[in-house]
Amino acid sequence: MIKAGQIDKGTALLIKGQPFVCIDREFVNPGKGSAFVRLKLKSPSTGQVLAETMKSQDNAEDITVEDKDLQYLYNDGTNFAFMNVESFDQIEVPMASFPDYEYFMKEGETYRATFWEDQVLDIIIPAKIVFTVAEAEEAVKGDTVQGATKYVTTETGLKVRVPIFIKQGEKIRVNTETKEYLERVNK
Amino acid sequence: MFDIESQKERNIMYKAIREFFDSKDYLEVFTPTLSPDLIPEPTIQNFETKFINEFAGNLDLYLIPSPEVYMKRLLANGFPSIYQISSCFRNSEQLGEIHNPEFSMLEYYTLGYDENDSIALTEDLLKAIKRPTTPSYALPPFIKMSVNDAIKKYAGLDLDALQEYESLKQAAEKLGLYVPPNEEWDDTFNRIFINFVEPSLPTEKPVVLTDYPYQIDCLAEKYIDRPYRHRWEMYINKTEVANCYKEETSKEITKAYYLKEYERLVNQRSVNNLPIPKIDSSFYDLNIPKSSGVAIGLDRLLMCILGKAEITPLLLFPLSDMIHDGL
Repeated sequence: MIKAGQIDKGTALLIKGQPFVCIDREFVNPGKGSAFVRLKLKSPSTGQVLAETMKSQDNAEDITVEDKDLQYLYNDGTNFAFMNVESFDQIEVPMASFPDYEYFMKEGETYRATFWEDQVLDIIIPAKIVFTVAEAEEAVKGDTVQGATKYVTTETGLKVRVPIFIKQGEKIRVNTETKEYLERVNK
Repeated sequence: MFDIESQKERNIMYKAIREFFDSKDYLEVFTPTLSPDLIPEPTIQNFETKFINEFAGNLDLYLIPSPEVYMKRLLANGFPSIYQISSCFRNSEQLGEIHNPEFSMLEYYTLGYDENDSIALTEDLLKAIKRPTTPSYALPPFIKMSVNDAIKKYAGLDLDALQEYESLKQAAEKLGLYVPPNEEWDDTFNRIFINFVEPSLPTEKPVVLTDYPYQIDCLAEKYIDRPYRHRWEMYINKTEVANCYKEETSKEITKAYYLKEYERLVNQRSVNNLPIPKIDSSFYDLNIPKSSGVAIGLDRLLMCILGKAEITPLLLFPLSDMIHDGL
């Protein structure tokens, strides 16, 4: 247990049985009233942001989280399958909890994940990932309006707009947040 | 590093405040900031220290959260209208932006006034201390609105119809607020207030919210015919700056209030192992004349007059800067 007034950014809490991480907090002291804290809490599994107001003296249920390295194996359309690189245990994570993450999951790649007990609260996607171009459409001739670009699809299914010189089988570095092409990677 | 300009501005503001009240024949008073007894305010945490005396023994002393009890004793003992600029201390509050544990307070009590007279007086005060660069949002005329009108406008509720606790709780839950079990009316009201009213208050002029619910217990006189008190608070640019009462004059009500608050304070602090200041009967055994008192946070007022967003740059030594290694 923790006093609501001690909750800080990054504190992980259990709200109605669901884990949340505090992303913002502000103290409010209404005149002649109890001190309150206004919290913004994010559910790491659904991305839902909750605004919660608690009295500073209220008890909140804090939880201890732990980071572990997971190697990505595959997905079956419903779950991601990972292997804990220390224990070699296989772990399944519902894909629905991490929408769009399948585009950034590369077979054999290691990802850092935040655990609360056996539950994966968060999977950290590196800011930049190198993908292999699985499919590249032919550049439309004379199409210079968009700065001579075309779409390619990576081995994970991610569609990225790239310069027209990128060919199938080549490697490209992509900004995972904006899904934008950064550069061609030469071996 | 030290902002000389804002220190000069503070000096100009303090002079203007003194000139304003002196010209109206208020007496400036100087009451203690260190005291063996405090006003019982369960929601305000205190600073505790020790008087060490080899003859008289040791004594717990406290830094005052406001000079209210002393100023009221003066009023009850024949003083004219009075004002004071003093340092006040509140523990356990947030550091930085608009909070510092030690802050400057202006309190003024006017004999014969009610809270509406104090609104007019405070408008005149703000006119008297304005600077050429003071933004319009810190200048009169004030926007006056009752708390219930604000609740109607910003939360879509009518407090007149929510006097029963269960109905208030249900209304709060319908607004999506979590209300823990066994909460009191005033705390649930404050949840609605800080989530819906405070963030929505107008910012083009200072806002005076009048007629606070009587359930928020305090020494502002209660209306005879309505569930509200003769109390207002002023917000400038959504920051709480001032609090005003038409002072309670009944000795019985004042005594009952102090004893009840003290009991609440002792209960809460014993559980949480916090300092429990004493209370002196001289605080409530008083015949307070008809009067109205206003308390203004001067660091915040200076911030508003200068059009700033934080008080810390206006303090030469904010505590947050003095703690080099963090908390």
